[in-house]
Amino acid sequence: MADPVERRVNLALYLASCRTPVTAEQCRNAGLGYSEDQDEAAFLRMFERDKEFLRAAGIVIEVVRDDEAEAYRFDPTASYARPVELTDEERAALKVIAAALAADPGFPFGDDLAIALGKLTDAGQTGPLAAAELAAGGDDGQGLRARALAEAVHTRKSVTFGYTNQRGESKSHHVDPYGVFFREGVWYLIGQDRDLDARRTYAIERMRDLDVNPKRPRTPDFERPEDFDVRDHEKLPFQYGTGALAARIRFEPDVAWRADRLVRGHGTLAPLPDGSVVWDVEARDLVRLAQWIVAEGPAIHAVEPPALVEALRTGLREVVDRHA
Amino acid sequence: MPNSTDAAVRARRLLALLPHLKRGESTPLADLAAAVGATTAEVAADLATLTLCGVPPFSPLDMVDLEIDGESVTVNMDPPGLDRQLKLSANEARALVAALDTAGYDDDSPLRRKLAEATTDTVPSDEIARTVRTGTAPGGIADLYAALAGAAAEHDKVSITYLTGTTGRMSERVVHPWALVNRLGAWYLVAFCEGVGEERVFRLDRIRAVAQTGERFTPPSNKRMSVTPSAERLPVAEVRFVPGATLPDGREWPGVSLEPADDGSVIARVPYQGVAWIARRVVARLGEAEAVSPPEVRDAVRTMAAAMLTDLR
Repeated sequence: MADPVERRVNLALYLASCRTPVTAEQCRNAGLGYSEDQDEAAFLRMFERDKEFLRAAGIVIEVVRDDEAEAYRFDPTASYARPVELTDEERAALKVIAAALAADPGFPFGDDLAIALGKLTDAGQTGPLAAAELAAGGDDGQGLRARALAEAVHTRKSVTFGYTNQRGESKSHHVDPYGVFFREGVWYLIGQDRDLDARRTYAIERMRDLDVNPKRPRTPDFERPEDFDVRDHEKLPFQYGTGALAARIRFEPDVAWRADRLVRGHGTLAPLPDGSVVWDVEARDLVRLAQWIVAEGPAIHAVEPPALVEALRTGLREVVDRHA
Repeated sequence: MPNSTDAAVRARRLLALLPHLKRGESTPLADLAAAVGATTAEVAADLATLTLCGVPPFSPLDMVDLEIDGESVTVNMDPPGLDRQLKLSANEARALVAALDTAGYDDDSPLRRKLAEATTDTVPSDEIARTVRTGTAPGGIADLYAALAGAAAEHDKVSITYLTGTTGRMSERVVHPWALVNRLGAWYLVAFCEGVGEERVFRLDRIRAVAQTGERFTPPSNKRMSVTPSAERLPVAEVRFVPGATLPDGREWPGVSLEPADDGSVIARVPYQGVAWIARRVVARLGEAEAVSPPEVRDAVRTMAAAMLTDLR
């Protein structure tokens, strides 16, 4: 029996070269690497896996059915990409991003990224140097778990895992995964916790013994709510907690250009005649917001609510007193 | 025996290599390796495997026909099929979206739109964006990123307008962009700064603008790829956290070590490059932290907090 890599490449080349649809049996007898000694059921399982592989590689296989058998045809229009016209800067950016992240174990999709780059750029165009360390503390398995969870999100399979929260309490969870996102060194999962009957966010670095439901892998376990959008769950550090408050922050004219970068799509920005910019944003933890203002400063000011200004004043007084 | 994941990745890489093989062309293995994100040895092994692949009846004319000669490969005949690049599969599109997210390329960026056109139609257009997000990049840095990546690729000196975060001072600097490095989601430029005559690290979201100078630089052979300074050469500040305070970790305070004290407080020892850097971090704790030593850090914390307090009145 041929090496599975050779067999799959042979199958791809064969389907692409055939002008008429071919059956599984024709593929088996074409010398592509399927064993003649294999029983029918085992061959068909292997053939199915090989077709799945080809689809995952971007090959679109059309299924042609008649009364007697099912046959398969390579769809060149749906499979081949038109050349993508990239500017020099876009190409360089793609190469840098891919070079940095494809080799970083904290990035869950490194293999796919490397192959995608191979499809988009020509050989002979080495990019600038780049590196990445996305996940905190190097790789602690976050990348692998994030990859498995992203796949479970895509296939809509439920997952189970053990989890230790910030208070050190450990518990098992059974979750329908809706999305994954990354922030400052940590990957997070958002999903519907079946036991709690509530939507929750979990830090993937705190998970252990992650299992994706292996039963009926092609049948989804749940429906994701149509209005779910992972971007709605990316919050700023001061937006966690209960009781939303309207806050207003002012960026001085010299740093007004930073506002768009710092707000990360949250709230609304409005320029003032003097060149400064005000940011109206929802906050749930005014002390954390006051800390954020200091950390991201200088030239960023608390405006409203008065409790925010007071939190900042109280905190700064305490700093001065402690260092007197 | 290779595991099934490795074999699947390798088979996909072989399919991605096929369109790069043009009859009569001789290509360095290193270039092919760079194109598909593999090592030169991996690509050499891939090409050797490809010579065993073909279509029925598998005569010499039906096989992938190439020769590996040292550091390059010469293609004798076009491959017997799949000589054009395939569209991006769902997983590949997801990987690209997640990667581009880190550099601020949002759904509406021209690059994302171009890549969407190269993606297989079986991917629902907005599913990836609604379920996977690496969105660590602040808004508006994609153009900066592209300009710096392009300059680094072409060895172009650039002028940057940079905000030093700890002091709030803006400066114009001519730099030689050597490398782009991502740490914990934030992108940094590693560059030689002509003004100070030394290598410097610049956080991308603090670069306001990039301009071409029209001059070129010669890249050094030994480029630094880390953006965190070596702690061994730095002074160490001692900071006491009150009992119950949220403690810093290595993400916020690189190189920090923590030691509990008998009274329930925690002593943090953290290497620092600039006094203003550590002072701002202590002030931002708004009373949960106290700089114990050295005196210059303690003084800087008090001065900074007092100035902010005055500003509030």
